[in-house]
Amino acid sequence: MAGVAHAEPIDAARFFSAAGLVVARSSVVVLLLVGWELFARSGAVTMFVLPPLSAVLERIWIDASGDLWLNVGLTLYRAVVGFLIAAVAGIMLGMAISRSAVARWFFDPIISVGFPMPKIAFLPIVILWLGVYDVSKISMVVFDAIFPVVTATIIGIQGVEKELIWSARNMGASKREVMWQVVLPAALPQILTGLQVALPIALIVAIVAEMAMGGYGLGGAMMTSSRFADSRGVFAALVEIAIVGYVLVKLMAVLRRRLLVWHQEASEPATV
Amino acid sequence: MSSQPQIVIEGVSHVYRPTRGKEVTALENVSLQVGQREFLALLGPSGCGKSTLLYLLGGFLPIEKGSISVDGKPVAGPGPDRGIVFQHFALFPWKTVRANIAYGLERQGMAREQREARVQSLVDLVGLSGFEDSYPSQLSGGMKQRTALARTLAFEPAILLMDEPFGALDAQTRHLMQTELLSIWQRTPKTVIFVTHDVQEAVYLADRVAVMSARPGRIKTIVDTKFDKNSRDVFKAPHFVDKVDEIWNLVRDEAIKAQGGRGM
Ligand SMILES: Nc1ncnc2c1ncn2[C@@H]1O[C@H](COP(=O)(O)OP(=O)(O)OP(=O)(O)O)[C@@H](O)[C@H]1O
Ligand SMILES: [Mg+2]
Repeated sequence: MAGVAHAEPIDAARFFSAAGLVVARSSVVVLLLVGWELFARSGAVTMFVLPPLSAVLERIWIDASGDLWLNVGLTLYRAVVGFLIAAVAGIMLGMAISRSAVARWFFDPIISVGFPMPKIAFLPIVILWLGVYDVSKISMVVFDAIFPVVTATIIGIQGVEKELIWSARNMGASKREVMWQVVLPAALPQILTGLQVALPIALIVAIVAEMAMGGYGLGGAMMTSSRFADSRGVFAALVEIAIVGYVLVKLMAVLRRRLLVWHQEASEPATV
Repeated sequence: MSSQPQIVIEGVSHVYRPTRGKEVTALENVSLQVGQREFLALLGPSGCGKSTLLYLLGGFLPIEKGSISVDGKPVAGPGPDRGIVFQHFALFPWKTVRANIAYGLERQGMAREQREARVQSLVDLVGLSGFEDSYPSQLSGGMKQRTALARTLAFEPAILLMDEPFGALDAQTRHLMQTELLSIWQRTPKTVIFVTHDVQEAVYLADRVAVMSARPGRIKTIVDTKFDKNSRDVFKAPHFVDKVDEIWNLVRDEAIKAQGGRGM
């Protein structure tokens, strides 16, 4: 607020340095994409092995008036619904485990064994049990994405300073109020970190499940293209997946910044 | 002052048993009585168990040996009758200054308008006007301390347990807050237990000063410091200076013992 008169040149300088940062960051990506285009056109490889970027983009453009939005929508639906279920269930489970010795006794070993396990290995079983439709795909997503959420919630709750809890108790908060009004917000930075780990997992599992089970969705479309030896289609799907993943992760980072305005990290320059 | 002491601590010991590391006897056989509306200062070397004693009084730690009763009833958990100001503030970092101060009033179910007026008057009292909407991470140490003080004063506890509440303040603010605390204490019926490292502050504020021994903490001596504190030159008055000197010597002995203990 202070020094409004001098704000302009400072703002301008800030703008250019911020813009410079964006350019510097994205220039690596741009460089890779240009390299892709030039290499594919150099004749060193065939169009089949590596179609040029421009051809892939053209293909995406054509898809956009076809099944692209249906595929993107279905993949997003499976990944996001699975992620949301994993988020809510994971936070609840983490709270229960932190609170009750019985829940800890029951779930601790399951989590220790389950977390490092490649859950995708259960895919054949899940197909047998639940079929190849959305239920089984979303179940796979939940099953995989829930682990980082549970662990982050437990670690976050363990790290809450006891004096914070005491001061709430001192002011007349019940145990329940302490849990929802103090422990949960105090553990929120950790929980959000867990969610940020879980989100890309959700997308990965959704796509792998689609690849295995076929049908619509980006993973299914990619497998179909592959089966028809349509290499442009496979690369188009790869680029689409990369864009969807990037947007999801960015949105999550924005949400984090919104929810943690009170946190010190919010006032520091963003690094993501 | 009523005849029956409001706080009765009898033969209290406390041992910390960390899951890893060795046991620490923080308090051993502490007995102390504090009267209604009395202002007691607690002095002692670092690590002698002052905070621990306040935690026991606040009902945050279980009383394993001995007994503590307040108004004739044994302490069995935290309650807003004993308001504590924590040494490290313990502010809710996700709440603004205003929301931190309002929290206790919300729990009491005070109506919104009344609550807002009360919060504002406390913000003014501790000199934080203009920072109502700041988060604790945006405040200086002294401002955090004043927020913590306002938060506890807000719900008007009959007993104030203060753990070095002015430790992070500069000399001027510190003196202002001391005077303000004295006037609050004189205006409203409050019993205060006030932990400090500052002997002069203890003598200035308190009716009695309890000096604790090095760990394991015991009450070593209690010095009467009740005299008129309202005169301007109280800090220069001979009886004030004498008391400070007397207590300073007691505290220094214990501090040296605490140092020696660490060397062994
Ligand atoms: N949670 C804990 N686990 C183990 N030991 C502890 C714990 N809290 C305190 N202690 C030990 O108990 C002793 C008393 O601690 P306490 O915090 O009550 O001291 P204090 O008098 O308030 O010190 P200071 O003046 O430095 O604040 C210390 O020696 C400390 O090491
Ligand atoms: Mg202490």
